[in-house]
Amino acid sequence: MESDAEEAAAAGAPGAGRLKGSPELTVDADMREMAKTAAWSVSSCKAGNGVAALRDDNLDTYWQSDGAQPHLVSIQFQKKVQLQLVVLYVDFKLDESYTPSKISIRAGDGFHNLKEIKTVELAKPVGWVHISLSGADPLETFIHTFMLQIAILSNHLNGRDTHIRQIKIYGPRPNPVPAQPFHFTSREFMTYSTIR
Amino acid sequence: METLMVDRVHSSLRLFMHRNAIFLCERLCAQFPSETNVQLLATCYLHNNQPYAAYHVLKGKKLPESRYLFATSCFRMNLLREAEETLCPVNEPNMEVPSGATGHYLLGVIYRCTGRISAAAEQFTQALTLDPLLWAAYEELCILGIAEDTDECFSESTALRLQQEHTSTPTLVKSNFANENRVLSSRVSASLGDISPKQIKQLHANNIAEVSGYPHVRPTALHVQNSSTSNVAQFDTPSPTAAQTSSIMPPPLFRNVHVYQNTISGDAPTKQKANGVNQPLRRKYMDEARLKKVSGRLFNCDSTSIPRRSVRLKDTATNSNSNTSQFGGNGTGHSSGKLRVNSSTPSKLCSTAIRSVQVRKGKPRATENFDEGSRYEVIDEMWTDNISGTSSSVSTADGRSFEQDKAERILLQDSKLALGIRELLGLFRTLGEGFRLSCLFKCQEALEVYRKLPESQFNTGWVLCQVGKAYFELVDYLEADRYFELAHRLSPCTLDGMDIYSTVLYHLNEEMRLSYLAQELISIDRLSPQAWCAVGNCFALRKDHETALKNFQRSVQLDSRFAYAHTLCGHEYSALEDYENSIKFYRCALQVDERHYNAWYGLGVVYLRQEKFEFAEHHFRRAFQINPRSSVLMCYLGMALHSLKRNEEALEMMEKAIAADKKNPLPKYQKALILLGLQKYQEALDELERLKEIARHESSMYALMGKIYKQLNILDKAVFCFGIALDLKPPAADLAIIKW
Repeated sequence: MESDAEEAAAAGAPGAGRLKGSPELTVDADMREMAKTAAWSVSSCKAGNGVAALRDDNLDTYWQSDGAQPHLVSIQFQKKVQLQLVVLYVDFKLDESYTPSKISIRAGDGFHNLKEIKTVELAKPVGWVHISLSGADPLETFIHTFMLQIAILSNHLNGRDTHIRQIKIYGPRPNPVPAQPFHFTSREFMTYSTIR
Repeated sequence: METLMVDRVHSSLRLFMHRNAIFLCERLCAQFPSETNVQLLATCYLHNNQPYAAYHVLKGKKLPESRYLFATSCFRMNLLREAEETLCPVNEPNMEVPSGATGHYLLGVIYRCTGRISAAAEQFTQALTLDPLLWAAYEELCILGIAEDTDECFSESTALRLQQEHTSTPTLVKSNFANENRVLSSRVSASLGDISPKQIKQLHANNIAEVSGYPHVRPTALHVQNSSTSNVAQFDTPSPTAAQTSSIMPPPLFRNVHVYQNTISGDAPTKQKANGVNQPLRRKYMDEARLKKVSGRLFNCDSTSIPRRSVRLKDTATNSNSNTSQFGGNGTGHSSGKLRVNSSTPSKLCSTAIRSVQVRKGKPRATENFDEGSRYEVIDEMWTDNISGTSSSVSTADGRSFEQDKAERILLQDSKLALGIRELLGLFRTLGEGFRLSCLFKCQEALEVYRKLPESQFNTGWVLCQVGKAYFELVDYLEADRYFELAHRLSPCTLDGMDIYSTVLYHLNEEMRLSYLAQELISIDRLSPQAWCAVGNCFALRKDHETALKNFQRSVQLDSRFAYAHTLCGHEYSALEDYENSIKFYRCALQVDERHYNAWYGLGVVYLRQEKFEFAEHHFRRAFQINPRSSVLMCYLGMALHSLKRNEEALEMMEKAIAADKKNPLPKYQKALILLGLQKYQEALDELERLKEIARHESSMYALMGKIYKQLNILDKAVFCFGIALDLKPPAADLAIIKW
């Protein structure tokens, strides 16, 4: 009971605290899922619980790693993209010691020059965990990168392997009107902006 | 027995008992194998939506009617090459295309589907010359963009020609009904050459009415195929207007027919065969024509029926008067008025006869109605207008004896005919002109033309949809919304223009109304591609592009000849950044309809995104050539030119766009962008200041101004502008750029 209270308090503290996860996936309307055409790979997996389970939109199937820590999920894009948000679905109640507790996110051009951009700690998360990739500076709202790597550094209760049920990567929507420096916001502009 | 069977088959078809008709017809063909009977069987199959059966049965037959039926079945089964081969055999280039105007129309449609536009145009023109009242042919010509002026097509000379065609067939007694029938006969097409002189005028008029229905039926049937509404529905919903018109006509007619068929058996079949008509409807009337021809004595037989007829006339005349006038005002309501009139007639035979006539009359009109929305209701109303005019003369004709006033009536009929023809052609002229102008995207003129229509015609689904489309092309979405809504309310079952309506609602961002419309359309007809387009637009509005894509693909599956569905698929793929597929779908749309400028535009946008600026410019220019009035297209063309660094032309194009549509803020914005690129900062700022007055709440505008100030190093103003821009809540991407 006390540990729960501690965790609740810890989760309450923003930024430095541990992420708890929320039951709903809440994403801004001006963001869209970016990794549909990306190449996904994992450092290891158990037979039957492979990388496809991360992208099948099914929260019952999960990826289970099968090797030494850190476990890695690597996502390579076809071109440099702007990314803003990483969302994972994990469930402590079902997975217990398989639930990740410390996650590091790295970005770069390829396996050779990945650099860590964010580290988060999770506290018995149940649901979607939103990890924002933005820095404090408004100029750093997005990261521009060819490749993203999610590294599971440790699990809850010191588990060796990890379960992740779903991962989604979000970035900004492209401008519906091509070759424009800015998006249009008002109705008058948008009405005249495209032919359908 | 054969005649009896044929008659039963026809009445089954008339009353939509297709399986009964097929069964009887199969017995008929087994017992009396002849090509005419086989044609009848094929017709039954086609009515029952089994073109493959008709195909099988008719394979190899050589009579013109058989060839036409066979071609129709092939067309329905999508065997275009065979259909073409039947209609126009390669080995025998001089063989005439069967069934005149409609055969040419069918051939034209086949050519259009296989991409031979000029040949198609030729066929349609031919069809229109043979039958000036074949609206479908004129419509196709408009869609191809090469229709000639309606003043030439539906001109005085055409009127004279039509008139001659009717007056060449002599008059007979029974002119009670002849008056209306005169009016009805004004709709005739030229293919009545084989009617013999001895026919009763009324019957003749019946024939003519039916025949006129026939060419409309066939091409509309095909047109339906083209325009993708469900086949079965073609033959539903007889129009009550038809009921009104037919109610006065014919109890005696049918009675005569029955009488005749009982007495004479041998002649009729041969005469039937000689006719070689495709539609059972037409055939039936032709049969009667033949029957009438041989039976001068019919009238003598029928002398007893005359008083009853006149009595009935008195009864129904008043009814129908009120009914027709009511109908004339009713716009497009499909009320069940037909049975109302029925109840007034005394004899059971007559009432069934009336009903059957109504149904029969209803059928061709129904097909027209369903297919082309209320376009034919338009014409029906014209009929009712005429008929309410003449029904009074009918009632007065009651008391007189036929022989005495025959001559008078003939003269009266002639003038009525002339009047009727001219009125109908006048209506066609207006509608045709409006349609032609809107196909050429001269929307303002089209709107003016449509406003010339009488109010009863104007307030019909088809016309209102056309008006809505014209406003849509003018990018006046509010007006378009208004008219489409009116159209949908007045005739909720017209699905033709509803895909455009859903796009209008998409542009106006009306999520709730769009989803309501989509659900309504689906509940009306799950198999119509327009309904699925509306559903897709709904999801697209919510940015759920994948579901939208699925729905648009369903729409494509339902009718692959519906160009807009392909274009919408292309748009969705483009939004998902799957450019290969989007190009593929745009090209499909262009294959179906080369003048679909949305597809050209879509291709231009894709190439613009892929930075293939030359291609983009080419495609935008093609779109612009098709629709030279659209300011949005001009704007995009200008953008493409700017990307190609042809800035002078780009600026020129922007000026044109600004002039074309004052309300469009985009060209001004783009002009400012171009000026910025040319480093003419002050002019750009001026432009943006002007724009500010029109569109106060546009964040991108302030952002651009901020950017220019930053370039000019007037930093405080820049900050000010950026601040406003931020206040107007741009999406995250812009935030990043703005916050420096």
